[in-house]
Amino acid sequence: MSEQFKQALDGITRVRGVRGALLVTDDDGLVIADAVMEGVRGDAVAALAASLSARMARATVGAGVGEQNFLQLQAEHGTLLTMPAPNGVLVVVLAEKDVNVGLVRLEMLRAVEAVK
Amino acid sequence: MKHVRVVEPWIEDPLVRFVTEAGARLTLIMTPAGQVLAQHGFTRAVDVMAAAALGAAIVSSTREIATTIGEGAFRALNHQGVQHGIFLAEMSTPRGPLLALVVYGSESSVGLVQLFYEDLVQDLIAACPNQEPTKPVIAADFERDLHKSLASLFGR
Amino acid sequence: MTAELAGNPDSLVFLELGEALRRRGQLYAAAKAAVAGLERHPRLADSHDLYARILVDMGHLQQAYDEWQATVELDPRHRGAHKGLGFLCYRWGDLDGALEHLELAVAADPMDQSVVQALRMVRDAAAELTEVVEEPQQSLFQGLDGADHGMLLFDTRGRVLGGGMSNQLGEDVSKDVAAYVSGGCQEADRSSRILELGDWHWMVVEGVGGSMHVSRSESDTLLLVARDGSVPSGRLAVLADRAAEVALQWLEAQQP
Repeated sequence: MSEQFKQALDGITRVRGVRGALLVTDDDGLVIADAVMEGVRGDAVAALAASLSARMARATVGAGVGEQNFLQLQAEHGTLLTMPAPNGVLVVVLAEKDVNVGLVRLEMLRAVEAVK
Repeated sequence: MKHVRVVEPWIEDPLVRFVTEAGARLTLIMTPAGQVLAQHGFTRAVDVMAAAALGAAIVSSTREIATTIGEGAFRALNHQGVQHGIFLAEMSTPRGPLLALVVYGSESSVGLVQLFYEDLVQDLIAACPNQEPTKPVIAADFERDLHKSLASLFGR
Repeated sequence: MTAELAGNPDSLVFLELGEALRRRGQLYAAAKAAVAGLERHPRLADSHDLYARILVDMGHLQQAYDEWQATVELDPRHRGAHKGLGFLCYRWGDLDGALEHLELAVAADPMDQSVVQALRMVRDAAAELTEVVEEPQQSLFQGLDGADHGMLLFDTRGRVLGGGMSNQLGEDVSKDVAAYVSGGCQEADRSSRILELGDWHWMVVEGVGGSMHVSRSESDTLLLVARDGSVPSGRLAVLADRAAEVALQWLEAQQP
């Protein structure tokens, strides 16, 4: 993993409650780089997050909200966050349900910058 | 429910789960020699036979490349087109090695296919009956077995 | 193809042959090929589908309907059969039936534009018929900010129950957005299940021009609230909660 990507992901995983951070190809759902806790299936997170982001992207354009720049799925036992980055990359985070989303977003934005 | 046809019944449930979750448009499960054990999505026997033969040949030639460069074996191959992708992979089961050929469209992705392919492998291994003793194959048996397989694969 | 079939009567080339004859207008010959194929392959869904299409061209609609029903019994996701059944239901004025079959056809192949267009047409027709009761549905969120252009209640199959959604040009995009979002929600269901996150409660999607908040209710309906960029996400969540209460009351009032 390039040092730049590693630092970007480390910044995200340092936020309390984050269980995994990944850089993923947005069309294929494949992992480019990851930093995930044991027990987290990085390949599954990557594929499903990319698919979810792609399906909701059509809805955001259709609803007049424009191109997607952030997605949060809030569930009973956790939360899934995605943020598109340049060059066909998606930043994906899996976290506990009560994670500080604002902090995670900031780190995700830094990761987006690192991908440019 | 996805509509699949199988020659050997133990393959059906794992394959149905796979094609549903992965969103595959076409799927073949076959031996490395190209003998088809199950199919989903094909309507013509000639297409099944062609896809099986070509898929087995691709895996075989890729194995040779792997040997040449000192790689043990490639886990999977993916060919990405504009509208479709083709995923080919080999798995080990108690019944011997099997190949999967999967064609998917834009509603799926190679990530999703790979993800659910791992589950398919585990499900097939779990469902696989004990290995049958091997018997020598003669031309007449092969021809008869082929026709019987095609009959099962197309619901005759 | 005829030669191949003559040499091997069990060949599935009759499917191609029958379709080619049908397209050339040689319906009697097409029917003959299809019936012969059906006798040899009675459990092949495509045999019944081919015959149904020929019967439609010949004007035998009820028989075609029966053949397509047989097709979906063999293959519940057969796109062609659902398309055909949808067409026949629409023709006979059964809009609910048409919607059901066309939605299944779209689910089998979301990229088939002919089905997407047919579905739109049937939904428009259904909307015209229910014009009289359209007003009460649109007033579902009456009193709430953005009631008729930024709040949408729909079921998990993408069918609109109330409210409305407009794009930046003021065009009504309720049906399209409901269809897309319901598809996204199915993916959210799957993701939550496989990643062991439990049931999902809501989703927020932010775009360059605004945000959308999608939540699901206990009665398995979905609520979408969308706003432009001037509304912060916290306020969007509050609006969504209020809309959810209104939607729940409305749904309870619809119970017999």
